[in-house]
Amino acid sequence: MSTPIVAVTGGKGGTGKSTVAVNLATGLSAENLKVMLVDTDVDGPSCATLLGVRLENGEEVRTFVPDIEASKCVGCRRCIDVCPEHALIGLQGKIPKLYEELCSGCKACQMVCKYEAIKDGWKKIGTIYSSIVDEVKLVVGELRPTEPRSPVMARATVMKAIEELKGDGYDVAIFDTAPGVHNAVAQSLWVADLALAVTEPTPLGTHDLKLILDLARELELPVEVVLNKADVPGGLKDELLSTCRERGIKLTAEIPLDEELLRSYIAGEPLMKKAPNSPAGKALMSLVLTLRDRLKGGEI
Amino acid sequence: MKEIVVASGKGGVGKTTIAASLAVFFAKNGVKVFTADADVDAPDLLLALGGGKKLFSMEIKASRKAEVDEGKCTGCGKCIEVCPFGAVIGQNDGKATVVGLMCEGCGVCKLVCPVGAIEVREAPTGTLGVEETKYGFGCATGKLRLGEHNSGHLVASVRNISRRKAQDAGSEVIIVDAAPGIGCPVIASITGADYVIAVTEPTPAAKRNLERLSKVIKHFGVPAGVVINMSGYSKDFETTLKDWVVRELGFQLLGEIPVDYEVVKALVQMKPIIEFNPEAKASKALIEIAKRVRGEIL
Repeated sequence: MSTPIVAVTGGKGGTGKSTVAVNLATGLSAENLKVMLVDTDVDGPSCATLLGVRLENGEEVRTFVPDIEASKCVGCRRCIDVCPEHALIGLQGKIPKLYEELCSGCKACQMVCKYEAIKDGWKKIGTIYSSIVDEVKLVVGELRPTEPRSPVMARATVMKAIEELKGDGYDVAIFDTAPGVHNAVAQSLWVADLALAVTEPTPLGTHDLKLILDLARELELPVEVVLNKADVPGGLKDELLSTCRERGIKLTAEIPLDEELLRSYIAGEPLMKKAPNSPAGKALMSLVLTLRDRLKGGEI
Repeated sequence: MKEIVVASGKGGVGKTTIAASLAVFFAKNGVKVFTADADVDAPDLLLALGGGKKLFSMEIKASRKAEVDEGKCTGCGKCIEVCPFGAVIGQNDGKATVVGLMCEGCGVCKLVCPVGAIEVREAPTGTLGVEETKYGFGCATGKLRLGEHNSGHLVASVRNISRRKAQDAGSEVIIVDAAPGIGCPVIASITGADYVIAVTEPTPAAKRNLERLSKVIKHFGVPAGVVINMSGYSKDFETTLKDWVVRELGFQLLGEIPVDYEVVKALVQMKPIIEFNPEAKASKALIEIAKRVRGEIL
């Protein structure tokens, strides 16, 4: 059976996705489960920072770009006409010019070239790092700044993780996603068995939570809510809870506002290790134990 | 007319809160302002401004999706092999089908199909609209379809319409609320803008993502300043961070906003904090920042 994948997502940014992901991974590992933690927030990966480790063993992710051989190109413009991203421009009879940042790597240009003038060229879109931190296998995808294609990089990270999960006896993989409901997030949810949507009790938290619930529904992915900063002064907890009720979504955990959590965040040490008995530490621990039991029972 | 983009590498550091307060401060202090929500994935600016009155809305169809005609498909599998996005999959009977969410519409499947069973059709990307806020200024918004790719295109549409409407209204400045991160929608938000306000918080994760954003900002040659939000928890880290912003990033420090739960109350009331409680610590800091932006950038 393939390893269960739990995606930690949430819609809005800064609700505590990475905090939950890192603490789940650390906590489940301490419960003797073999855990892989995958940071698929390729725009702004934070898991390594939260674990207080440097990124290691970087492997470049490259995508195809056309490498046009001037001696073979007749300037027929077929490649220019077929390019869906308008990444190639040029006049009849001239060698096309490539706007590399627009190229999606689809190879349509290469397929239509009748003169075999387009060879495989490559551009680096990011790096995937892997390391072991306290027995947790950490895989981090990082988009190269100025490269726009986060979904392609997120997909590469997801694929790499799935490859590494094969046959290595992992009990669970935790995928930390980017904020939002765009394609880079969908890449992770697409392969997940359960999504935990981390949110906060504000109108923005509720609004964005609804979006992620909609996306999960579209992907037929079971989703549960983790309410972070649950007791923030002036917060709108009741409204959020009624949203969950209306949609029949389970509230799996409530994490109280806790300065210890912020300290652990700044120190780069998961709360599970730094202050497991703090109010937020206890809430996270109970989430860890619930998931442990469900994983052992084959429910995820 | 100046375009000022509020961006951040990390999510949830306060872009929308700051954008809403800046816009309202300008509107109330004689600067004609227009706003644009370029976080088309999770547009929240209108929520922070207490909602709006819809003036205009339209569907944007800039995406393309492949479709397989199962009657013609022979199940040869060539399309599955070449799809660079893993969007074409085989069904139980061997015939191909396209997972719409994964398809970028590049059309290579159509190119290799020997029996002409694949068509690439226009598909909806999202919606574009303009609303009027209760503060008298307009807000251009976009809403990307769930799971969609083409955010850069929609962001460009939001910026285009905001420029047009702002020009019609005689606005001096457009405040653009960007998406978190450094990818396509962010690049589409900051290219050609006049100034970027990069928002961060005093944590190592936010600092790291500010550094990544700074590379994108510099690459596109846009001047920028940094606002440190939610400060006050870790004085040592904050001192180092401020020094690093100026020395290493070479950006100006526009100011810092202390942690203040009045901001949460204001969000719940759907009012910009400077409107909800002008005496709050965060409001005072924001007003100073707004004055600085008015004086130095406009």
